[in-house]
Amino acid sequence: MRRAAMWGALLLWTAGCGEEAPGVPFAPPRAGGATTIDDRSSLAFMQPANNLLPENDRPHREGDAAFAAIFVPAPSRINPGLGPTFNNDSCNNCHLRNGRGLPVMGHNIQRTQLLVRVSLPHGTPDHPRGAVPVPGLGFQVQDRATVGVAPEASLSLSWVEHAGQYPDGASYTLRSPRVRITPTDGSALPPDMLMSLRLPPPVFGLGLLEAVPVETLRSLEDPDDRNSDGISGRMNEVWDVATRTLVPGRFGWKANSPTLVQQSAEAYFNDMGLTTPLFPEADGTFEVSADVLQDAVFYSQSLGVPARTFLDDPTVQRGEKLFSKLGCEACHRETLETGAHPVAEVSWQRIHPYTDMLLHDMGPELADGRPDGAATGTEWRTPPLWGLGLTQTVLPYSGFLHDGRARTIEEAILWHGGEALPARDGFRALSADERGAVLRFLGSL
Amino acid sequence: MKRMSLPLRLAFAPALLSGALFLGGCGDDAEPCCESPDSKVNSELIITFADQVVVPTYAKLATRMTELDAACKALATAPSAEKLNAAKQAWQAARVPWEQSEGFLFGPVAGGYDPAMDSWPLNLVDLQKVLNNGDVLTPEYMGNLENSQKGFHTVEFLIFGDGGTKTVGQITPREFDYLLATATELKRVATVVHTLWIQPSDGNPPFRDTLATAGKAGNTAYPSVHAAAQEIVTGIVEILDEVANGKIAVPFDSGDPNEVESQFAYNSLSDFTNNIRSVENVYLGHLQGETKKGTSLQDVVGVGSALDVKIRGQIAASVTALAAIPEPFRESINDAASADEIQTAQTAIRTLLETFQGEVQPLLTK
Repeated sequence: MRRAAMWGALLLWTAGCGEEAPGVPFAPPRAGGATTIDDRSSLAFMQPANNLLPENDRPHREGDAAFAAIFVPAPSRINPGLGPTFNNDSCNNCHLRNGRGLPVMGHNIQRTQLLVRVSLPHGTPDHPRGAVPVPGLGFQVQDRATVGVAPEASLSLSWVEHAGQYPDGASYTLRSPRVRITPTDGSALPPDMLMSLRLPPPVFGLGLLEAVPVETLRSLEDPDDRNSDGISGRMNEVWDVATRTLVPGRFGWKANSPTLVQQSAEAYFNDMGLTTPLFPEADGTFEVSADVLQDAVFYSQSLGVPARTFLDDPTVQRGEKLFSKLGCEACHRETLETGAHPVAEVSWQRIHPYTDMLLHDMGPELADGRPDGAATGTEWRTPPLWGLGLTQTVLPYSGFLHDGRARTIEEAILWHGGEALPARDGFRALSADERGAVLRFLGSL
Repeated sequence: MKRMSLPLRLAFAPALLSGALFLGGCGDDAEPCCESPDSKVNSELIITFADQVVVPTYAKLATRMTELDAACKALATAPSAEKLNAAKQAWQAARVPWEQSEGFLFGPVAGGYDPAMDSWPLNLVDLQKVLNNGDVLTPEYMGNLENSQKGFHTVEFLIFGDGGTKTVGQITPREFDYLLATATELKRVATVVHTLWIQPSDGNPPFRDTLATAGKAGNTAYPSVHAAAQEIVTGIVEILDEVANGKIAVPFDSGDPNEVESQFAYNSLSDFTNNIRSVENVYLGHLQGETKKGTSLQDVVGVGSALDVKIRGQIAASVTALAAIPEPFRESINDAASADEIQTAQTAIRTLLETFQGEVQPLLTK
């Protein structure tokens, strides 16, 4: 990182119109560096990186096929191994068009893309920073099963509405989820069970985030808020299955996965009931080969990041300034730089993900109360904001935040608490026009 | 088809060209996206697409799924060879609007309804388990089954058998139960998708309005007309890539008949042809047999222009090339005598794809 964290924003970089030198206009910021693609359609999260090397075209396509592959129970000639219990049957059936899922639940024709993670607050985990499984449910409620097998539980979701009002009198409504878990075997749930609802996040740009040097992220940490700006920020510490050591966490809503290969293997195992070399069967065999796992990983590493739009729109420019002025940029860091990475396309790029990859206390209203690695029940990892405005282009009716509770970007802002409370209150205090400008800026990402 | 489109290298936008999509230079222009008065890339283009192509296609799908459901009920009530034949024809008729909708697989259908109707390969293991168990097939029970043991291809499997060899006497009572439950769910899904385009739902506007109001204040899905126009052409590019490089290429390259969709009914090539028709409908701005009622991509290109003539010629060439491949496609993929025809069709479709990518997409950028 070449710029000091204390100086806040790299505003100059994206001020839109200006000059780098006399007569030389600024190059527009390219969200994903050389991987950036110019596509604002519903397929914007499904394009290969703009700088994809010719020799990687085939691996990328194989990864695309791996991501789309629908698994079925064994024996089958094609994609066997699903289940016996699971949440879904393909990567793309949760990450719809590589984006988020829908915040719906239950056994309807749309299928559930929301997951429920569970654990117990006390007990002995089987590795450091691990969670304690819930008898009969483990760490994740698998509410689907192959025919003849009972799913672990059935899930239902309802929403509770909360009316709110801006200082200027404008009203809004927020909603929060209520999940009901009904174990299939009729057993009672432990009264102290911890539960966290999770919506699948988009899968593009992950290779770039993996390529940000850990030193950079460490330099952004301020766990004890020594600079007294009200923002802490720290990396999660999680169990690396391959090395059997504790390492920094990067991926997932709580940064509870250290690498894309582990996160992908966890998804195969937890979401689809598929074993991999990282999470094998008891006898050491596995249903998804190392090659296919690697294909899926490479796909997520080699997707393009959609370019920002409306760079020259004065409203967007105004919203961008307000975003910074409100302090949003303290966590949603506009610019990071990647370092060396096995995937050449994502190495040494200047990117604009709007994240610091760190955990922050987001307050009681957003809290799930379920620790994950070193993350507490109130901490969440700053999610990247690139491509944010395409969310409902890619998937109409999708939601924002970790559980999809926010139906709009505006609602997502209004849920911010804890360290983000001053920024949220600042947003609430803006005029309707100014709020609109902030939202238009976020929609242009 | 649930197999997602293969990615495309949209190489028409040089990285440093800040104007690649809607990014103008710096200036005093207060309008983020503006329609020049003579531009054919306007709201009418989007509205025509929605009202003259998408909505009628989904309406037809809902109708034909209803007819398929009725044909299956009639067959189950009084099984006969004639009724089985009618059910088969109803299935094939329902495939037409579905495949003709695959040139615009965005919007509500992307929210899980596509795989609910059209997952492939079939999960024959679980399908067989249900045929063998005595469970009552309530709508709730069906809701718990995977998409890969329901939908179009399950109905196809049950009434056609392998290569259409199934006779009415071979359909067991349990298969009738499963067929009815599946057909009823298909009707429900198709109706929901059509409804989501034309009616408000859960506090959301009809998706037709979401598209038609592209560029209007507050439209977060399509903040400019050009974004919606790009969506339309991207849908075309996606399906052409999928047909040439997915639906045809995957089984042709692997030689694996299991990869061939709609193989029980020998309907694969009809599927592919209707995908090309989907592109044609979108391009012309109306369904086959209907009259043109507004601006379409053809107007953006210029009716009668050299490019228009080229595109229409390439669409026709793609359809002709597909017609030259013998069914069953699942056998043709391994028949040396058909290899030339298959490659010719792939080339024709790829040529059309390149035309849309190279010459139509740039017309929609600013």
